[in-house]
Amino acid sequence: MKNQYNQSRRRFMQFLALGMSGSVGGLFNPRFSQANSTLISKPIPSSNEPIPVIGLGSSRTFNVGDDPVALDNVAKVMQHFFNAGGRMIDSSPMYGSSQPAIGYGLNKIAKTKDVFAVDKVWTWDAEMGTEQMEQSRQYWNIDAFDLMQVHNLVEWEHHLETLYEMKQQGKIRYVGITTSHGRRHDELEDIMKTEPLDFVQFSYNIVDREAERRLLTLAKKRGIAVIINRPFQRGDLIDELEGKPLPKWAKDIDCKNWPQFLLKFVVSHPAVTCAIPATSQLEHVKENMAACYGALPDKAMRTRMIDYVEKII
Amino acid sequence: MGEMTSYRLSDFILFSQATYFRQFELYNQAIWPLHLVAILFSCVIIFALWKKPAWAGRIIAGLLVVSWCWVAWAFLYERFYKIHLVANWYAMGFILQAGLLTWYGVIKNQLNTFVTSQSKTFIGSGLLFITFILYPLIPFMSGRSWLQFEMFSLAPDPTALATLAILFIYKSPKLLYVVPLIWVLISGVTLLSM
Repeated sequence: MKNQYNQSRRRFMQFLALGMSGSVGGLFNPRFSQANSTLISKPIPSSNEPIPVIGLGSSRTFNVGDDPVALDNVAKVMQHFFNAGGRMIDSSPMYGSSQPAIGYGLNKIAKTKDVFAVDKVWTWDAEMGTEQMEQSRQYWNIDAFDLMQVHNLVEWEHHLETLYEMKQQGKIRYVGITTSHGRRHDELEDIMKTEPLDFVQFSYNIVDREAERRLLTLAKKRGIAVIINRPFQRGDLIDELEGKPLPKWAKDIDCKNWPQFLLKFVVSHPAVTCAIPATSQLEHVKENMAACYGALPDKAMRTRMIDYVEKII
Repeated sequence: MGEMTSYRLSDFILFSQATYFRQFELYNQAIWPLHLVAILFSCVIIFALWKKPAWAGRIIAGLLVVSWCWVAWAFLYERFYKIHLVANWYAMGFILQAGLLTWYGVIKNQLNTFVTSQSKTFIGSGLLFITFILYPLIPFMSGRSWLQFEMFSLAPDPTALATLAILFIYKSPKLLYVVPLIWVLISGVTLLSM
């Protein structure tokens, strides 16, 4: 009886999530199944290309230098990521040796053609942008990036011009811009209002919801895909919640642990396209990718999640 | 460059603690048996400070110059720079310190008078003992692989600490304190930020 109730409720939650997604001007199109076996994807607004809601970040975790043991571990993490249906991997020239590590991993697991490659241009010298992006491409060992973003708004006027040209020439498919840990949202908002961006990336999580006020609303209105970085506040949130009980109702949204709970909160926002948690742990990438399956919370459930977390933190 | 002001130091610490300590393990494996030379350097410095021969200050300064140069090139630039984007600047700071030690210690022989203050001598000697003997044992004591040990003359922290200890024992030009103190600050913040 209880199982039947749970199944019905789960289907209801999925239906609600589907309805919620449908009500956001076509931004959402999660591919739910009746059970937990179908990967949840959302469309990139500017192309309708579906992308899994969980990607893979590389800040800190893939910056391992030339350590052969750690490089093989990076390849294993990526293998698990792809096996679980993941596609988007994000990096930056700022992340030390992360780019060569990704290139090593992609080559080792033969996934250079399957990855949705996302990188950034990060230089104060506008003339150096093209050279830096070419260097990044060589590190990744791929033909071309899918998405290239201006990192942390650095020299964004010049770099965006270059990126638009590259997009026109077919060298990249999407153009974006990023910021992190809540910096310079006013300036980012102005850019989002005026520039024809495909993607924007910023920080958002269950305890830091500043982005909900303006950026997420604006992204939805302007048809810009949103990538969320630091969904765990660089791991601080997981540390704070470790040892605290997951609510019993978490199973209604198919969450078995805190990372899934936190990720589902993030990617269930109607304007969010995907989140890119970073990890170097095989178990963690499995946990994270499980958030790509099952039910997503609806608006009421999201409120309940916030209330619960704020009570126990 | 206005965007630089929106960064914090921790934004540039883009490697994990495990990766950081693993650099020492790989480094130690790569440079063996140079550790024996580093031990010899330490022994010469202790002997010179104990026996106080006329040549002590110049020899100690010379060994410090070699140490700061080696750490700048072999560790900071060749290894640490691969995971830390500003490590090349750190390397330049270490080269600067080597230059200052060459000028004041080797050329001008200004490390030739011991301090009279017993407390300064005690602090300097204590710090030197900790750096030479206890510092390499930290990984072992903290449950990490013992291969991640850091030695004077080969790794930045013990080299900076030993230099400070020696500067305490001698009447030293104040300028020689600047780089080691800045490094201790940077290293402390790095360890706390990881």
